[in-house]
Amino acid sequence: MIVRVFGQAGSEIMPEQTATRVLTCIQCGKCTGGCPESGKTPFNVRMLVRKTQFKSNIDEALPWYCTSCGACSLRCPRDVKPSEVIIELRSKLVEDGDIPVTIQKALENTFVQKNPWGRSRNKRADWVEKAGFEIPHVSKTESKRLLFVCCIQAYDPRCMVIPVNVAKLLRAGGMEFGILGEEEACCGNEIRRIGESGLFEELQEENLGTFKEYGVKEIVTLSPHCMNALKKEYGNTGIKVSHYTEVLARMIADGSLAFPGSFEKKVVYHDPCFLGKQNGIFDEPRSILKAVPGLELLEFSRSRETSLCCEGGGGRMFFEVESVYQRNAEVRVIDAGMLGAEIIAAACPFCVMTLEDPATEKGLAVKELSEILVEVI
Amino acid sequence: MNILVFTKRVAATQEEELRIRDEGAAVDLSKVPFKINDWDNYSVEEAVRIVEKEGGTVTAISIGDAESDEVLRRAIAMGAKDGFLIESDAVMHDPGARSRLILNFIKKENVPFDVIFTGVQSEDDQFGCVGGILGAILGLPYSSMVIGIDAIEKDHMIIRRELEGGLQERVKLAVPCVLSIQSGINEPRYVSIMGIRKASKVERKVFKAADYPAENAPGIEIVRWTYPAKKGGATMLAGELDVMCGQLLGILKEKGVYQ
Amino acid sequence: MSYALIVAEVRRGVFEERNLDSVGLAALLGKETVLFVPEGPYQIPEKIADTIVRAKTAEETFLNPLNLTKMLEQIFAGRGKPDYLIFTQSSSGMECAPYSAGFFGLPVITDVSAYDKDKGIFYKSYYSDKVFGEFKPAGGAAVVLTVRSGSFKECAAERSVAAKIEELSGIAETEGRVFIEYVEEEKSDIDITKADFLLSVGRGIGNKDEIPAYEDLANKLKAVLSGSRPVIDKMWLPKPRQVGTSGKTVKPKVYLAMGISGAFQHIAGMKDSDCIIAVNKDTEAPIFQYAHFGIIADIHKVRDKLKEIVNG
Repeated sequence: MIVRVFGQAGSEIMPEQTATRVLTCIQCGKCTGGCPESGKTPFNVRMLVRKTQFKSNIDEALPWYCTSCGACSLRCPRDVKPSEVIIELRSKLVEDGDIPVTIQKALENTFVQKNPWGRSRNKRADWVEKAGFEIPHVSKTESKRLLFVCCIQAYDPRCMVIPVNVAKLLRAGGMEFGILGEEEACCGNEIRRIGESGLFEELQEENLGTFKEYGVKEIVTLSPHCMNALKKEYGNTGIKVSHYTEVLARMIADGSLAFPGSFEKKVVYHDPCFLGKQNGIFDEPRSILKAVPGLELLEFSRSRETSLCCEGGGGRMFFEVESVYQRNAEVRVIDAGMLGAEIIAAACPFCVMTLEDPATEKGLAVKELSEILVEVI
Repeated sequence: MNILVFTKRVAATQEEELRIRDEGAAVDLSKVPFKINDWDNYSVEEAVRIVEKEGGTVTAISIGDAESDEVLRRAIAMGAKDGFLIESDAVMHDPGARSRLILNFIKKENVPFDVIFTGVQSEDDQFGCVGGILGAILGLPYSSMVIGIDAIEKDHMIIRRELEGGLQERVKLAVPCVLSIQSGINEPRYVSIMGIRKASKVERKVFKAADYPAENAPGIEIVRWTYPAKKGGATMLAGELDVMCGQLLGILKEKGVYQ
Repeated sequence: MSYALIVAEVRRGVFEERNLDSVGLAALLGKETVLFVPEGPYQIPEKIADTIVRAKTAEETFLNPLNLTKMLEQIFAGRGKPDYLIFTQSSSGMECAPYSAGFFGLPVITDVSAYDKDKGIFYKSYYSDKVFGEFKPAGGAAVVLTVRSGSFKECAAERSVAAKIEELSGIAETEGRVFIEYVEEEKSDIDITKADFLLSVGRGIGNKDEIPAYEDLANKLKAVLSGSRPVIDKMWLPKPRQVGTSGKTVKPKVYLAMGISGAFQHIAGMKDSDCIIAVNKDTEAPIFQYAHFGIIADIHKVRDKLKEIVNG
């Protein structure tokens, strides 16, 4: 175990604001109570805040357990924002260059190719081939409405269907949109949470420059993670940012998108942390699913604000913690099975990726929301 | 110990489909991103670790166009004290020409050093020659494939070099010497963007390659570029189960992993 | 005198097979071939070259660029400089070839994998074989070459008579670089990044009870067993055996993937393997896009058949 003393108030490592917030912590433990990692792993978020208050030694491996679900910050009565404290701890490790090698690779890849997997930037729009129709560059659109695709949807064979599906759905609803293709860079949401704020700023600067160059007025994102970054962490851009479920919910409500087909399945909806907890979008995905003829919508007992994190966020897509324990995704799948669900629907690519492994094993299907919808349009 | 480390900015082509232009005259790198040569990253890290322990300085040197300043900033962020750019807009394919340029630069500028590090090879041309030629023309001991530095004394170093099949060779080299560092000798630290920004405040000296003309030595010339014979997707083994399995074992034998 | 001089590689008393690629290239170049070798108890085919020069020194002293260049100087004094000075593309060749080039002021082309006799052009890999450069020594000068293993072996024709044997003695050993000892790399059985041959299993194996049967196959094939993330997550295999972005990145000579569909995170951890063989019953499995060879079949049946064949 490598331990380290992290900076406190006055040090350049932890900004004054964070240090002050940390001091107001009353150690009530509500953070730990809602944390998807505390209890079954060595990670204890309350303890980490405590140790930061006292400048005690901290095991370097611990900050990497956090999935950035945001439950702690949501539950904290004193606005300490423990999830942000974790990011500060990570940035100290990042600045020292002493980080898990797979995280290091993800960061270096993002620096070179603008995506954490290091795939060629020139192949960022390869998914378009699968759409079967032309998708214009955003500069060629009248609305200057951008479909922001981002890395996992652009490159992962499992998730490449998401932009294809959403493009079809927007088109079916008569909405004009364009893309940036290879000019798009990673949104940086996970990069910031890994603690690499400098790289996040570079991505932000590059994307904002591109948005400005083409006069982007509105952005529709596929992943809630991208929405979070673009909406809340890119500063005051004057650009309206929505998750695609918000857009589709509106289209259904105003009658521009209808589902003539039917989908006779029992579906349980899993709230992604970055869509639900952190951005309050609970009703739109549900209203969309309810609009699908034949679909029976089930609810997890832990849903909405208390939804159980799939553990795919906060850099955990690129890093495997040392301790072995029952994955939340597996817990989630067992719960879904007990509800009698046939399908788990999620509106986040990370959730789909993490849930699918245990689900397949237990004979359940995991579908990204758009995968259900394209079957009924 | 003063260490000169050569670091090169190379095209990151691993994920790219490269195109040859102008009937073989050039490889199109216009849409390819660039990065530090992987082997040089290990070299810089090794040099920095040595001076962190033994004292001394690391000077990073790059030959290339103005953009190569990027790898110097990176080296400084890792712990190098100085960064020298020998600016040359023309790509020098001949490693002999590069080595002689370095020799003339070191002599003319009186650059002091105890040890020179290069990477074993660079990712782009994979020549793996600059260190060896430089060692010979400087008249210094040389070793390549250095996978471990076991001891550093005033007048010598004990190093391990990687041979084939999990075998290594332990060698004593007199200092000063030239070493080509193998990847895997260490785990290079992560260089954060904040770190690079701070490093940008350290002045990097720029020299012009044209000021260090090399004597006329016989070199090599590139005639043209060509594509390798097409491979194209997986070859599917077909037939009955025992036929396919027999073929599979045949492949294992051919690749030398199964007798 | 016009000739090609081959510096042979001998390690631990073994005349390395890749020397035959050097011999093959020399034959293709059509020059009289002189093979330069150290002392040792090893066997060399006697018709391998026109002349064999034996240095009166051990392999460790021989494959030391500082000593070697001095020895070559002695040979050149007698025969003149060769037209081609040929090494293998190996740890020793990658060290001795450029050093010799620098020492004698000769140009050098490394990792030569083909030769065009009509044009006098050497093919050299750039960008990990994505393109090749066609090179020739400027002005037709003599040149130092290193030869890619496996490229010219079949060109190595036997001579009609046994090679003339000469000896080189009076060798001065340098103080500048001294061999100390050979060191065996520590081989931890679970370091999958060091294995030449990985048998990697995925979710497709079904359940933990199948693991011993795959372990058995790996042992029989002298492969190391590794797995994809689902297999490690379920604790069917220990964490250090995981291949993928959240595990280890591997580049073995052969990666045999059984029951692995090829999730992106997995592919990123193994795609640079020299040879990827995928066995999967799903014809659409993404891993086939990255594999060099594929078998569409039930993996358990393939496993059992392989064992059957190996057991004889």
